[in-house]
Amino acid sequence: MTESNRLHVSDDQLLAGLANGSDEMLEELYRRYFPMVLHLIQNNSGSEDDAKDIYQETLIVLYEKVTSDSLELHCQLKTYLYSVSRRLWLKQLSKRSRNGHSLIDTEDLADVDNDLVDHEARDRQFDLMADSLDRLGEPCRTLLEDFYIRHLSMQDLTEKFGYTNADNAKTQKYKCLMRLKRLFFSVFKEE
Amino acid sequence: MIDHQKFTDWIDKWLRNELTETERLEFETLRRSDPVLAQRALEQQQLAKALKNYGQRTDFRSRLNRIHARLDMDAVRDEASQVSKVRKLHRNGGTIRQLWQTYRPILAVAASVALITTFGTLMLVRQYQSSHKQQEQYSMMRRDLQAIRRSQNAILQDLNARERALQINPGQVAGSGFLLSPDGYLVTNTHIIQDADSVYIQSTHGDIYKAKVVYADRKYDLAILQVHEDSAFRVKTVLPYGFEAGPTDLGERVFTLGFPREEIVYGEGYLSSQTGYRGDSTAFQVAISVNPGNSGGPLLDEKGNVIGIISGKQTSSEGATFAIKTDYLFRAISAIPTDSLKNSSIRMSRKNGLAKLARKDQIKKIQESVYMVKVFKHEK
Repeated sequence: MTESNRLHVSDDQLLAGLANGSDEMLEELYRRYFPMVLHLIQNNSGSEDDAKDIYQETLIVLYEKVTSDSLELHCQLKTYLYSVSRRLWLKQLSKRSRNGHSLIDTEDLADVDNDLVDHEARDRQFDLMADSLDRLGEPCRTLLEDFYIRHLSMQDLTEKFGYTNADNAKTQKYKCLMRLKRLFFSVFKEE
Repeated sequence: MIDHQKFTDWIDKWLRNELTETERLEFETLRRSDPVLAQRALEQQQLAKALKNYGQRTDFRSRLNRIHARLDMDAVRDEASQVSKVRKLHRNGGTIRQLWQTYRPILAVAASVALITTFGTLMLVRQYQSSHKQQEQYSMMRRDLQAIRRSQNAILQDLNARERALQINPGQVAGSGFLLSPDGYLVTNTHIIQDADSVYIQSTHGDIYKAKVVYADRKYDLAILQVHEDSAFRVKTVLPYGFEAGPTDLGERVFTLGFPREEIVYGEGYLSSQTGYRGDSTAFQVAISVNPGNSGGPLLDEKGNVIGIISGKQTSSEGATFAIKTDYLFRAISAIPTDSLKNSSIRMSRKNGLAKLARKDQIKKIQESVYMVKVFKHEK
């Protein structure tokens, strides 16, 4: 990616690219605002790795907002990303129980409370699903991932997993799904 | 009744929009008619969505990691360091604001501590001052003669030559004193005679004699005087009153004679406490009104026994006068070094010839032995 290339893309184009799943746009977005977050974290007792984690989580917040069509940007994209990163870092700091959770700010702030509440709910769901899938084990995990995430057809699955016929594959998938359902909802409903 | 597995398949197809038109109609009818099936469809939908979100985020994360791995970190670090420079240029006073925001909680704590300390100190000081004031409430009943020099001059005008000499430099402090023994020993308060250049005593008739300080006890505020080789002093054979060091009951009627002015003044009251100012066990508290000049006067009980020596009063309350117990007068006398008493010890009598007399007659006899003590000092 060259310097001139960078300057011509607006924030709106970047967001559109993010929604489309364009790797090029994502890379540009990543490159554009990472220095700002790096500066924020490093100025507030964080490392480069902390900055990377916080920034990537911030982008996940943005990405999931964009893909679920619920992003309402009332400020510059830069301000939004800064505010989210800041909040995430504050949370991280309080987890590490450092004193004086007030950061040295360099950017303006936007109100991102609601977005972060949503993000936390999604976070819980994500962790729960990851945990459920871990406990599910193979080959169920891959079977379900192939079907529900990668959207393979039953025919593909029959071939990939070497089942004698599609009905057999269906039965397997059904059993796996029931187990996952138990694992997932046993916790999910309690919340 | 549709079997479980088949219905699950249908839900999958429904979620993927793969149902045929007839299947879709049948599915919708089933869902609407059977709430259990409807619930199952909903759960499966949630599960599928959670799986999809999971996959989406995992995928996005790996994309981000790939991008991060390709990143030119040196350039990013460069840019990050420029962020601060640009910011600093843009924002005037930004540093101060940053410092303020960073240290605000600490400042708040420091400020509260400062406030508490300040007010705490103020309170302590006030408390200390008020206790100090109480101390000052004890006022010694000596009289400053400077203030009444003029009237004194008038009184002294007709007196003899010795008194005329005194008139030139009248006493600066005056109090009362009374005879301990017929041969010229007197007791008064130390606070009256301290820093004295010379001490004179003056009888109720106006006769003045020079006296010297034999002994001054600061602790009990008692001083012993002796008439100084003065042939004019008429030695009495016996004192009218005796000294009583034994216990005295509360409510005992007591009286005193003293010189708050040029004339002897009689005062009457009762014993109100066995201890003196702030629990001082060497003194009594008596309800007698006294004035500057009463200090050093005798405190006598009904029968005419000396039970104490007036020494001061509490200024904050009326009628709280303090008198040193006779017991401590004895102690002070026994503490006098023997060579201070040239020829003999002080012969004090416990005999008392007043017991059966009426008060008027008691006073007549006693006043012969009560003297005004005048003290002269260098002007400072």
